[in-house]
Amino acid sequence: MQHQQDGPLALLAAGLAVGGAVVQALAAARLRRRGDRWSPLRDLSFTAGAAVLAAVALIAPPGGTFTSHMAQHLATGMVAPLLIVLGRPVTLALRSLPPGGRRRLLAVLRSRPVAALAYPPVAALLDVGGLWLLYRGPLFAAAHERAWLGALIHVHVFAAGLLFAAVVCALDPLPSRPGIVLRGAALVGAGAAHAVLARTLYAAPPPGTAFGARDLAAAAELMYYGGDLVEIALAAVVGLRWYAASGRRLARESRRGAGCEAPPASASYGQ
Amino acid sequence: MATPAASQPPAQPSRGRPLRARSAWSGALIGVGIAAFVDETVFHQLLHWHHFYDRSTPGVALVSDGLFHAFGWFAVVIGLVLVADLRQRAGLVRRALVGGILAGAGAFQLYDGTVQHKLMGLHQIRYHVDLVPYDLTWNVLAVVFIGVGAVLLRGAARGLNSASAQSS
Repeated sequence: MQHQQDGPLALLAAGLAVGGAVVQALAAARLRRRGDRWSPLRDLSFTAGAAVLAAVALIAPPGGTFTSHMAQHLATGMVAPLLIVLGRPVTLALRSLPPGGRRRLLAVLRSRPVAALAYPPVAALLDVGGLWLLYRGPLFAAAHERAWLGALIHVHVFAAGLLFAAVVCALDPLPSRPGIVLRGAALVGAGAAHAVLARTLYAAPPPGTAFGARDLAAAAELMYYGGDLVEIALAAVVGLRWYAASGRRLARESRRGAGCEAPPASASYGQ
Repeated sequence: MATPAASQPPAQPSRGRPLRARSAWSGALIGVGIAAFVDETVFHQLLHWHHFYDRSTPGVALVSDGLFHAFGWFAVVIGLVLVADLRQRAGLVRRALVGGILAGAGAFQLYDGTVQHKLMGLHQIRYHVDLVPYDLTWNVLAVVFIGVGAVLLRGAARGLNSASAQSS
């Protein structure tokens, strides 16, 4: 599932990534024409995420077979999702869609299944639990035989990674707004499960497969330390957002302390 | 603070109040993170004393190690952010912070040196050597960190009490 990079499915994946970047750029341009502020850093982040996806779909990362596969998974399941989430695609869609489309998107966002998926433990389980099934069950060996299953696994790894990054970072408006403790716990739990899985891969390949000991060790260490880097980045996003919110709270308190009218205690729903 | 405003939240002077407990907890988080970081870089990567994986490692040790590994990174990031926030609130108590760092680092190291390395049988500190001096140094150092940290934390608490006694 990992070496045949030039199949039609790989081309399709790369095409979708490029298409996504184009749509994002058009939507951002629309906002700016209208006079809205939209940070170019968000465009940059989103485009970088799409570029990472397209690159690993077309070019096999260097290293042994399993190491190359692991680099590809790290890119599609962790790096690209983080970059895309930092581009705040849902916020952009909500702002740039016509009213009908916006209403439909909001209905989806507020639907019950999405609320369930956006519960941090569920998102973490889908993400890392899927990886455990893949590497510790018969899935990996089966995907070697059937190209469609391999493609499906890639899609799942990307989608689950995107969901997890979105839920942990909570940059876009989510149906329920899980607190920082729950999001942090999900991040630590997922990071731990990821680290343990990487360690077990060091010792034993996925059932039904055989890789060289060097290849296996390199892949396991790549998964372990690569996962760490993305985990730190996610924690930094969570922490810096909290810091900014705390600064705003502080400013509000000191305004209130200075004798100004207290603002109405209505629950604000995003910006 | 006898303002009769009923709608106001409990009086919380926003800036300048020393936030001792929060300083100590931020320190503890950073301390755990530093200990995990030193364990990773110095002993795994630089000295190559620790092994990435022992074939004999039992599952419970792997899980415990994974949990602390993931928590260590998270803790150091969140701890630093908390310190930044304490500074923006001008409430950082330095002694409590340093005490927290030492206590946190010592507690993690002691846990690593006793429960993980010995009880659970995770990788050892070093291989093909007499382990006793290594284990002793490791754990005695951990206890020293905790002790110094505790002294600093108590000092910070006493400093606050005397300060409030003076001001009242």
